Amino acid sequence: MELWQAKLLNRAARLRLAHRRLPAEARENLMALEGLSSRAPAMAQRYVVVDLETTGLDYNRDRVVSVGAFRVVKGHIRLGEVFNELANPGRGIPVESIKVHGITPDNIRNARPAWEVFRDFLGFLGRDILVAHFARLDTYFLNRVMRVQYGMRLQNLVVDTVLMCRAALIEPDPYGQKKGAKRCSLDALAIRYGLEVPERHTALGDAMATALILQRLLPEMAQAGWSTLGDLVRVAGVQ
Amino acid sequence: MSDFPLPRIKDFLQSVVPFDAMEESELQRLVGLMDLAYFPRGEVIIQTGAEPSKNLYVIMNGSVRVTLPRQSGEELLIDVRGEGDTFGALSLLQGEQALFTVTAQEDLLAFMLPDEPFRALVRDNQVFKRHFSFSLARNIDAVRRAADRHTTQMTGTGSLGLDAVLTGSRVHELMSKKLLTCLEATPVKAAAILMTQRKVGSIMVCESGGRPLGILTDTDLRVRVLAAGAAPDTPVAEVMSQSVKAISPQAFAFEAMIEMARHGVHHLAVTEGQRLVGVISDHDLTMVTGSSPVGVMKEVAKVSSLEHLAGLPRRMNRVMETLLRLGGSAEYMLDVLSEFNDRLTLRLLRLTQQAMEHEGLGPPPVQFSWLALGSAGRREQALNQGQDYAVVYANVPPDHEEAVHGWFSEFARRVSEGLSSCGFVGDPDAVMSDSRRCCRSESSWEESFMAWISTAEPPVLAQAAKYFDLRAVYAETGFVETLWNKILGAIERDRGFLGRLRRAGSQRRPPVGFLRQFAVEPDGSYLDRLNLKEVALDPVAWAARLMALDQKVRQTNTLERLGAVARLGLLKDRTAEDLYEAYSFITLLRIARRLEENHNGHDSGAYLDPASLNRVQRKMLKESFQVIGQLQEFTAQRYPD
Repeated sequence: MELWQAKLLNRAARLRLAHRRLPAEARENLMALEGLSSRAPAMAQRYVVVDLETTGLDYNRDRVVSVGAFRVVKGHIRLGEVFNELANPGRGIPVESIKVHGITPDNIRNARPAWEVFRDFLGFLGRDILVAHFARLDTYFLNRVMRVQYGMRLQNLVVDTVLMCRAALIEPDPYGQKKGAKRCSLDALAIRYGLEVPERHTALGDAMATALILQRLLPEMAQAGWSTLGDLVRVAGVQ
Repeated sequence: MSDFPLPRIKDFLQSVVPFDAMEESELQRLVGLMDLAYFPRGEVIIQTGAEPSKNLYVIMNGSVRVTLPRQSGEELLIDVRGEGDTFGALSLLQGEQALFTVTAQEDLLAFMLPDEPFRALVRDNQVFKRHFSFSLARNIDAVRRAADRHTTQMTGTGSLGLDAVLTGSRVHELMSKKLLTCLEATPVKAAAILMTQRKVGSIMVCESGGRPLGILTDTDLRVRVLAAGAAPDTPVAEVMSQSVKAISPQAFAFEAMIEMARHGVHHLAVTEGQRLVGVISDHDLTMVTGSSPVGVMKEVAKVSSLEHLAGLPRRMNRVMETLLRLGGSAEYMLDVLSEFNDRLTLRLLRLTQQAMEHEGLGPPPVQFSWLALGSAGRREQALNQGQDYAVVYANVPPDHEEAVHGWFSEFARRVSEGLSSCGFVGDPDAVMSDSRRCCRSESSWEESFMAWISTAEPPVLAQAAKYFDLRAVYAETGFVETLWNKILGAIERDRGFLGRLRRAGSQRRPPVGFLRQFAVEPDGSYLDRLNLKEVALDPVAWAARLMALDQKVRQTNTLERLGAVARLGLLKDRTAEDLYEAYSFITLLRIARRLEENHNGHDSGAYLDPASLNRVQRKMLKESFQVIGQLQEFTAQRYPD
């Protein structure tokens, strides 16, 4: 993926939706790529690092139960700009996933439905670049709600820290042996960087861990020769 | 925003001085204003000469080097800072170009607090104001005077926390509030009955308005009533002690102790304005622990045997503990200790002289003086210190010299033996072999001094420097006065001596700071044990001696020397103040550690483990070291090679 390709897809979406009545947040989201330049340093960009906790890992059946996100501007994590919401998945939470994230049905009984939480998250995200660890999962859930609500997928650039890790830290893998795969897990990276990740396995705790990892991967990428936004999207862009 | 959702981040800040002193809700708000930034190792975060810092940085993880680029291109290491330390404050607060370069020494994770909220904090929050104020004197003084959460940080692990040193117990914490008062006209018998009922040893005699006029104590009842045969209906006004001294409830307990010792009374009235709010007695003070300095001092003069004398230093240690708990100042404690040592020595001279006469060796053949040198001469002998003394006797014809010298060597050997049994480190046999050097006639001493001043090279002066702290403990002649005048006169004629004397001192600079369990040396290496005397106290003593000899200051005590040269304009008042606080603080730290060790029965020698220091102690020590480093640079410039 190149930035120009993303811009092309975005233009197509704008044309397709030009005459549709859209809520303000969707209109705004269509502008998400405005002003981005592939030559700008990746370090100088605005990012929103997100993590979702779900009822499970089945794309078809499972739903989001919590959204946590931090904003990272010029490499600095803004501690005052936090998104942290529980969402009501509209179904039971399996015991296995309760064991992972500790969110019980009692916790989410009074939470708002996922689409409302996502709408607010869209407001928080603005035009910033979305970052997640293994971003395909997060974008899948986000896009599903986006399509139902607005008839389009999320327009922001999405960058995956797993891909950044593979590019910057793991030697090339032409034969697809995937020896490096485990070395890019959140836990492995946290250990590699000696991070004491607070409140791991909550959406916000994992978002913080991912943000701390992003802070370190950006300079590592630059060292490896990928210092611009164009490089970043090419190496680690997801959509 | 309600609670910050990641409690451990907030918890971390809560453990950092001075954020630890903030209200929970205020800290919550502050976290929301912060950024968390990452700097890879080697990245320059602040560059010397750059625009004023826009943030205060608080290190969460990793460390930074603070350096100053030199003309030559190399860098001078000023400080290394680690977890929980801050940087960027100086240039931010002064709004001036950055003085130092700050580089990530390890991968660094740091909180950034923007300048506006930080300025507001320093403006409105007393703890922040104090923490980031840059005068050491003001800093320590503020901590000393304010009992807040800062001071709990001062508590060491041992039984004798330094907290007491800096906060000190206050009079109102120790005084008895069960006030027993009566009017002037009260019959003495009624007063005695009241005292018996309430089981107290004194009653305050007040005006009807409440102003204290005098005090009636058990002693007064015994001496002025019973022994004098006064009638039971005598008004108390006629038999009370009239000189009742007053003290404020906010005064430090050690001030009360000094006040009592000064006026020779056992009770003080505690008054707020004119109103009596309590009474404090020496009993209340010694209840805190052990005995009073006045008592032990008086006892020294009464002792008639060496065995008895040898038991006193241990009691003196307990007195020092008491003083430390009560928040005595370093100056006062050293004074007390040195006064005690002097009296002990005097008593020992007297007892030895008597013993020698008794054994038929006769009285001293000629007039003599007993001199203290080095730290004893400077009246800075801390606990468990060595023996440093000299004997000077009147000039005698050459044919008598051998006999006279023999008598005084034997005398010195015996006194030295006595000092050893009192706990002063020293080998009496070595004194014998050394007696040619430390036991001499007036003219011989004078020759030595003149030779040192005019020709001696630094290696010789390194050994001889202690003689320039000369002080008479016992004097039968005015020789010491005359000698000092000659010394100062000779130095004035031969200023090259000062340069040689400076070079004789250690060129070692104190550490620049602390990182984790280490002290960081100026060359960047790490130390896991710290000899405070070597790295901090000796350099100040050397510099003070130099400047004093330069300015013809006759005092030997380091603090007095510093004060005197500041009055003569050689040091700025502010510098002298900072040095005074640095020297006092380190001295107290040493005394406290020593007492703790005596207490716990182990002795780590002269060494201090940097890991045992908490953040506030580290901060104060670090600032003290900086002040001392500056002093060394100053003397190096003023007394060049």
